[in-house]
Amino acid sequence: MMMSNPKRLHPISAVANFLKQLKELIVPFLIFVVFGSRGGNGEVFQLVITAGVVIAVFIIGVLSWLRYTYRVEEGELRIEYGILVRKKRYIPLERIQSLDLSEGLLQRPFGLVKMKVETAGSSGAGDAEAVLTAISRKDADYIQQAFSSAKNKPSENRNELESAATRRKVIYKISAGELLLLASTSGGVGVVISAVFAFIFQFEEIIPYEKVFAGLEGFMANGIIFVSILVFIGFLLAWIIALVGTMLKYAGFTLKKTEKELIITRGLLEKRQITIPLHRIQAIQISENLIRQPIGLATVYIESAGGSLEDSESARVMVLPIVKRSRVAGLLKSHLPDYELQPGFFKAPKRALNRYIWRGLLVVMPFTIAPIIFFRPWGYFSLLLLIISIVWSYLKYKDAGWDISSHQLALRYRGIVRTTVFMRKNRIQSLTMSESFFQKRRSLATIEAVAMSGTGGTGGTVLDLDRNDVYAIYKWYSYTGLNGNTPLQKEKRP
Amino acid sequence: MITEPHKRIPARGLLAWRISGTIHSVFPLLLSGGIIALAILFDWPIWVIGAALMFFSAYAYFLITVIPALRWKRWRYEVRENEIELKRGIFVIKRTLVPMIRVQHVDTRQGPILRKYRLATVTISTAATVHEIPALDVEEAEELRFFISQLARVADDDV
Repeated sequence: MMMSNPKRLHPISAVANFLKQLKELIVPFLIFVVFGSRGGNGEVFQLVITAGVVIAVFIIGVLSWLRYTYRVEEGELRIEYGILVRKKRYIPLERIQSLDLSEGLLQRPFGLVKMKVETAGSSGAGDAEAVLTAISRKDADYIQQAFSSAKNKPSENRNELESAATRRKVIYKISAGELLLLASTSGGVGVVISAVFAFIFQFEEIIPYEKVFAGLEGFMANGIIFVSILVFIGFLLAWIIALVGTMLKYAGFTLKKTEKELIITRGLLEKRQITIPLHRIQAIQISENLIRQPIGLATVYIESAGGSLEDSESARVMVLPIVKRSRVAGLLKSHLPDYELQPGFFKAPKRALNRYIWRGLLVVMPFTIAPIIFFRPWGYFSLLLLIISIVWSYLKYKDAGWDISSHQLALRYRGIVRTTVFMRKNRIQSLTMSESFFQKRRSLATIEAVAMSGTGGTGGTVLDLDRNDVYAIYKWYSYTGLNGNTPLQKEKRP
Repeated sequence: MITEPHKRIPARGLLAWRISGTIHSVFPLLLSGGIIALAILFDWPIWVIGAALMFFSAYAYFLITVIPALRWKRWRYEVRENEIELKRGIFVIKRTLVPMIRVQHVDTRQGPILRKYRLATVTISTAATVHEIPALDVEEAEELRFFISQLARVADDDV
């Protein structure tokens, strides 16, 4: 099959263009409708303008489809587009970082795919990639093969490539039970709840809440139970929405490995495929949220270099959505042999506990004292905050930890979620230790390591570790070796 | 013990910081001046004037004398063959290691005050972080930039 002739995208992409443009016009359109209907025959005028705009958008959609061509020629993916200003984008195949395929609702019925071409452009957000909105599977395969053979040098022929494709090994596939567990314990619930509230308050001006409530007041006064039921139903609904959303997004989650890449496929309505080249992995992160940690479940992410600013998802990729914490190392060990994912951790010393607790208390103190002064007697309930803060600080203290195993630094800390990050020495971009006056008095110090993720940074900070431990990490990282690299003689606690 | 970085920022740097601190204190000066003027015009209690004066003098004192002095006293850096080490901080003392092979590029930068004292700021960027030596002799900064870019070019491995 040849692809040196310019090809157009499937006509459905004209529709996709049209719909996308319309979507972007919704807000200006609403403004237009709300503020523009004051005149006498304003409505007719509005109708004409609206129809005109829609037709214009449709014509633009079709024209931009007509103008958009792509081809593979001389080792380059060549895209030409633009209605008034003609643009040409030639991307050398070996410069392509990854090809992401996805199938949306529009592509599905026609057996098409959407291909996202990512290059390692730090030149700017939009320029880092090209998107072929709708192309046939066959063409997508062709481009992928051209891309792989460009990467693997010309000596490799197609047969070898095909066998490489069959050499894919499935590392992990989500089961129905796990999917349900994932959805029901995700933090997405909170997001949905706040979105629902935001949405409700959007209509404050339209729905006269005050009148509604005034009417209900008598009923409400002796109807606290009724209100709590309403609230409960609201939360339940939000939870179900989040549940369904997450399930649709992660249904059929599969992690595969080829020789040089990890490949993730997921999604029910919109299928997504994400490819992570092994050599671009910068760090591995295991996170355990408050609901999952007690039942021993964890989520594993991989931070990788490259990707674009807009699409942060391609920099921090979930590779194991929900697994037993104890299974993580076993699942990934043979595939990521550079990482030791189940080390013992050195903990923060006992004398650090005080500092953890005070730090927490200082933050909540104003929120506790103010209600006590102004809203007595109910304000005393804010004392509960102090207890929560102490428990939380204690958890933070308990989770703080670090470990070094040959070429890897592992840091563990807790914000709300307990996070363990594994970084190889040659992936750490910089390491900082800091000591405040108060830390110095107790011979404690803080360590911070930064690795690259996408176009920015990631990493970890662990507060108040033993100063000697922090020095040990600092020494380990130093290339000069400083004065003698004596190994630590200290017992690890799991 | 680990050998600490030992190079200092030139003493002219301290002077430059003091000057920029002085310029920065113009803002609280205007603010306090305004308040005092209002207090006199509208017969506000006398303590308002006192507070405004206190505020201005404390602000200026810290910005012009205390902070630059402490900052200068604490700042150390060292550029070794394999890595750059920085040590700085007034209340929290931070030490940072940046391996040479992680350095992506080095820039120098000069504002009008630094230029008057023949100083420059050197920024060192890795793929994920940016580090800064706030004031160096111009020639030394140039040299450093050249040195680092030479060394950084040697090791061009993964990321």
